[in-house]
Amino acid sequence: MKKIICLLLVIASLLFCLTSCGGKGEGEISVFYYTYSDTYISTVRSSIDKMLKTAGLDYNNYDANSNQTTQTEQIDTAIAKGSRLLIVNIVDTGSDDAAKTVIGKARAADIPVIFFNRSVSEEVVSSYDKCVFVGTDYEMAGHMQGELIGNYILKNYANYDLNGDGKISYVMFKGEQGNAEAEARTKFGALDANKILTDAGKAGLVFYDSKNTGKYLVDQGGNWSAQAANDYMKTILSAHSEKGGNMVELVIANNDEMALGAISALQEVGYNKSGGKTIPVFGIDATEGAVSKIKDGSMAGTIKQDALGMADVIVKVAQNMLSAKSHFDTIDKDNVVGNWRVNIPYAPYTQDAADNNEK
Amino acid sequence: MEENKSYREKIAGAFHGMGNNVKDKFKEFNSLSRDDKRKKIVDTLLNNAMFIMIILAVIVIAIMKPRFLSTASVINIISLTAARLPIALGIAGAIVLTGTDISAGRAVGLTACITAAFLQSAGYSSKIFPGLDPLPIPVVILAVVLVGAAIGFVNGFFVAKFKLHPFIVTLSTQLIIYGLILLFLQIGSNGGQTLSGLDGKYLDFIAGPLFKVGGIAIPKYVLYSVILTAVMWVIWNKTTFGKNMFAVGSNEEAANVSGVNVFLTVIGVFVLAGIMYAITGFIEGARIGSAASYTGLNYESDAIAACVIGGVSFVGGTGKIGGIVIGVLLLQIIFVGLNFLSVDQNLLYIIKGLIILLACAIDMRKYLARK
Repeated sequence: MKKIICLLLVIASLLFCLTSCGGKGEGEISVFYYTYSDTYISTVRSSIDKMLKTAGLDYNNYDANSNQTTQTEQIDTAIAKGSRLLIVNIVDTGSDDAAKTVIGKARAADIPVIFFNRSVSEEVVSSYDKCVFVGTDYEMAGHMQGELIGNYILKNYANYDLNGDGKISYVMFKGEQGNAEAEARTKFGALDANKILTDAGKAGLVFYDSKNTGKYLVDQGGNWSAQAANDYMKTILSAHSEKGGNMVELVIANNDEMALGAISALQEVGYNKSGGKTIPVFGIDATEGAVSKIKDGSMAGTIKQDALGMADVIVKVAQNMLSAKSHFDTIDKDNVVGNWRVNIPYAPYTQDAADNNEK
Repeated sequence: MEENKSYREKIAGAFHGMGNNVKDKFKEFNSLSRDDKRKKIVDTLLNNAMFIMIILAVIVIAIMKPRFLSTASVINIISLTAARLPIALGIAGAIVLTGTDISAGRAVGLTACITAAFLQSAGYSSKIFPGLDPLPIPVVILAVVLVGAAIGFVNGFFVAKFKLHPFIVTLSTQLIIYGLILLFLQIGSNGGQTLSGLDGKYLDFIAGPLFKVGGIAIPKYVLYSVILTAVMWVIWNKTTFGKNMFAVGSNEEAANVSGVNVFLTVIGVFVLAGIMYAITGFIEGARIGSAASYTGLNYESDAIAACVIGGVSFVGGTGKIGGIVIGVLLLQIIFVGLNFLSVDQNLLYIIKGLIILLACAIDMRKYLARK
């Protein structure tokens, strides 16, 4: 009898869960995220959640867990369910096919699509009149990061050149192979910093490992993760030190997560703590974690991806699409590109910026 | 006349027997003491708990979201089930041998990438084999089946020869295969990118409409899944190999003593599984429209869960093809259903975990009770 009560309880709780979690369902707005484990995307997600709720719109979130197959199937299910708008943070940015497939499905069901954050090409977006891309100028973050790094190092060159060889050795952490954003950040983060340094008559940055011709270390899992950067950094620090005269003097990361991973490895060997020496570490995104590290001085700077701004634009475009207004109604015209995309501007973020914000 | 009469008697007897059968069961049930009666009911309920839960779930979901039973939704569930069936059919063999196979997902990934590489359209810009026209489909199927069989052979060989637990063997091969996928994707002008721009003929062969129901197409791979299921049913139930597999699964020693070649049977099961993964991979490329390094990742976990829910026990030696089909179907009904009910994605993982845990516990209960 105990067993049967147990079983009934399980069934009851499951059913309760099913029923209590069920919203109004019909005609939901379906929002697809490439993975729930991305910190920056989670910030965007919680903002979108809040805004959709405030707007009184019925919505449902889907987690693709970094797998395009999962996402494509979720989209099928959402359409079968009667979704009236798809908001898609596509997983696969390596080719156009995934986005094309999504558009094909949306077109067949005659519902609009908003792609965001992870880039989709103009050709694909323009192929469907009910489709918009909300993102960032993917090269801009890299350019800004490079500029920030160049100026930062230049201000106090001798201080950062730990072994005094007149060159700054650096390491670059790349978030994902084959992702257009990661490629651009990896390229311009170093290139633009170099330009500023050489224009000022200094030697350019030198990758810490001369045998690595790609000049970056990539997260093999493609997750832009702190853990990957931390593992790499620990390995590097086991072979590179000030004593050996080959210490890494600068850390550049494609995103803040990876920057934080590198910082915790540095802290384990005594760097980047108050009172000790600090290796400048740069990220992109300005996540909460990075901002607090920048405030306490253990991180040098980041480029702010405006999560709130992105969520705001996405929800506005969604409302425009649902009410048959022009897609970009009430959106800042400066940020609208052609009739297919909205760019959310970036901004550099360092301790100075943090101080200014405090004041 | 005589014959006729005896014939009639036989039929009457048969009917009588049938009636008796039900009556007997009823009588048997009535003759039980109060406690035994209760025990019997509880057992019956528990043994079919998964089915009861799923039927209840379908009813609840359908009441709350009538669209759940619309043609589009039902076809969606059938297609999802068909896509996941072959890999589950393969992995089930390993489970019958009291083992498992966690290299399955990556094997699907590798074969999907190989398929995509040979079937990229001629003019596509980034190609593994630049200048190669799409090969004929049967050639590609044969090639990936060979690759799948080779993976299965390696798995089976190490399990059978060195008596290693399949978990550790397939954990190793899983890593090796992933490395191979990454290397493979670097070949030619591809540079680690997703393989896409697939040939139209291939796309149509897999995802083209088989026929339409109410204006909604059923993709062709549903048919292939049905065929594979039938083939596997024959192998499991009508061949010596199938019988040997169950014999080895329930008691390896006894099977060995009674003349079953355990070594070849184990290898055979894994090779067969490898072939199933290869076919899943072949279907996967066209179904999704591209193949990449993540293709197939973690497919084995859903497949193993489906097998267990469908009654293929980790105790070994038991399992039915029909059970596997139902297991895969039930899992899909649940996942799609939870999506229909707009259940929070974070909770989905928890619910998924609980369902698998519950299914395993109920399954093991049968064996504990028997002991």
